[in-house]
Amino acid sequence: MSSGSGVNRRIAGLPLDRARARLWPAALGLTAYGLPITFILLPLAAFLTYSFFYVTGATTHYDLTLLNYRRFFTDTIFLPVFWRTCVLCLEVAVLAIGFGYPVAFFLAGLSGRKKYALLMLLLVPLLMSYIIKIYAIRSILGGTGFLNRALLDVGIIDEPLTIFVYNLNAVLLTLTALLIPFAVLPIFLSLERIPRSLLEASADLGASDLQTFARVILPLSLPGTIAAATFVFVLAIGDFLTPQMVGGQSGFTFGRIIYSQFGSAFNWPFGAALSVILAAVVILAIVIAARFTGRGREFR
Amino acid sequence: MTGEKILLELRAVGKSFGPTAVLEKIDLAVRDGEFITILGPSGSGKTTILRMIGGFIQPSSGEIRLDGRDIAGLPINRRPFNTVFQDYALFPHMDVAANVGYGLMVRRVARQEVARRVRQALDLVQLGPLASRYPAQLSGGQRQRVALARAIICEPRLILLDEPLAALDVELRKQMQLFLKDIQREIKTTFLFVTHDQEEAIAMADRICVMNTGRILQLGTPREVYYRPQSEFVARFFGDNNLVEGILGPGDARQRRIETPLGSILCAVDGQAEVADAPSGARAFAVFRPESVMPAPSAGAPAGENSATGSVADVSFAGATTVAVVNLEGNAGPLAARVKIASRVDGVAIAPGDRLTIAWPALECRLVLA
Repeated sequence: MSSGSGVNRRIAGLPLDRARARLWPAALGLTAYGLPITFILLPLAAFLTYSFFYVTGATTHYDLTLLNYRRFFTDTIFLPVFWRTCVLCLEVAVLAIGFGYPVAFFLAGLSGRKKYALLMLLLVPLLMSYIIKIYAIRSILGGTGFLNRALLDVGIIDEPLTIFVYNLNAVLLTLTALLIPFAVLPIFLSLERIPRSLLEASADLGASDLQTFARVILPLSLPGTIAAATFVFVLAIGDFLTPQMVGGQSGFTFGRIIYSQFGSAFNWPFGAALSVILAAVVILAIVIAARFTGRGREFR
Repeated sequence: MTGEKILLELRAVGKSFGPTAVLEKIDLAVRDGEFITILGPSGSGKTTILRMIGGFIQPSSGEIRLDGRDIAGLPINRRPFNTVFQDYALFPHMDVAANVGYGLMVRRVARQEVARRVRQALDLVQLGPLASRYPAQLSGGQRQRVALARAIICEPRLILLDEPLAALDVELRKQMQLFLKDIQREIKTTFLFVTHDQEEAIAMADRICVMNTGRILQLGTPREVYYRPQSEFVARFFGDNNLVEGILGPGDARQRRIETPLGSILCAVDGQAEVADAPSGARAFAVFRPESVMPAPSAGAPAGENSATGSVADVSFAGATTVAVVNLEGNAGPLAARVKIASRVDGVAIAPGDRLTIAWPALECRLVLA
């Protein structure tokens, strides 16, 4: 830093060099570490602590206990919903990949300006309000919605179908539709990153297009695809708004249970405990995904 | 070594992207079993030729014939050629053995047969112990050899090499040049090698095809293009030739005079009908190599030699040789010429400012038409 030999210039009593040298890094450090600690780590810690409190009647007891966790594992309501939600979100992830991969592949195959114009178009829904999008999808899937009217007009069905509204199917379809852009992007990027010379080499060595896809393109886009699936899964499992709005009575998910603990049941400690369990699942999903994609470090 | 049988023939092959032609209609015949090098600066169209043969781009005109048959309709994966790419293009998610065996695997060759031939190919390129490494764990030279093994394992009729040594450092590049040449001799497959490095071309090729601006300027053995350039471009492209412009004078089928600012220079023209038959008075260059030039003991050249006098402008040590730049006295101002002499431990007997008479034999002085 500043050498001790020189004269310290001062203005209004404040040393110029040293003040800068000391204050600036301190301020930087405070912002760099302070902000995440205050706004991310502390709330998480608070949540974790809260999950060990408990509620009887309308009073919260601030003694540490495992009651909440025991309740989750022993009560016959929570585990099945939890399990069903995990499966649902896995299905959403698989569906989003199933629709997203061909879209990403198509985009990556386009040239120049057209590619990025279409990509932007795909990202436009991300700028729209989540609630508006859910309403839009509800009006498509609903009893008098676009889907039913179209099917009626064509004559495939005689009366409006109810299999797409206010149940888990509706949650599944809506979540998938909303989250497809999040699946397309990582897959698109991983496809873009494959050097074209690898495709040329594959063809040059005698591989057909199908072989090149199966042996070169698919394996090299796998890390991106797994990242996409993780994104979608994590976003889906944390969502309570979509199930709330399109799930109806039967479309009950874990997110909604947590929501009700903070809302109607007013049992914050139990809600916190359920949130911690959800967070554990999310972390597990990310760790598993990292394992898969981490293999890439060997050869990248 | 090289038979006269033609393996591949390019007939009036041209390529243009929009209105700009990157390749004028060129003709080129590749002989079966030869090591042919296409040499040219960047933008000369040399890589375009290679990529058209490989099938990566379609020619705009002309045809490419393999064994006398047009292969325009043959897709990349059906052409009996394999390419060694400039960036090697090894599959990063496969180990060395899988990379090398890829060509056989996609042809559904039995697993054991693939393993056997992979071992063979890896032994040939001396990479046997590294079969289970991934490309990222290999050095540049090792990757290069994997790429080569991957290309030769399918026993192609022709191996296309697209500046494969460009990314290697000098020492390794020299080793790889010898190595490639050895492999080529051993497997007796035709190699078509693209490079911009004239030393590399000379070191490896049976024949060199010199290109510039989409045209083939000269095709011949390394010796021919080195000692008998047929154009100013080729003369300047190979090393640091001395060129003196002048007007063609009288001569016969073996020797011809050219009148230059340095006086009359006697040049050999045997085997160069286009120069021997050119009309007197045509503009041309006398071309002689710096290493052909000797400091003359005294003024006046012996019979069959040319000479000129000037002052030494610069002497620089370049390892095995020492290069002197001499400003020769011409009747139109000084003309710089380079002289290469063998270096000695106690230096050479020339210093800047010295007056020096140099001489070079007519045998090693050639003519190119301007």
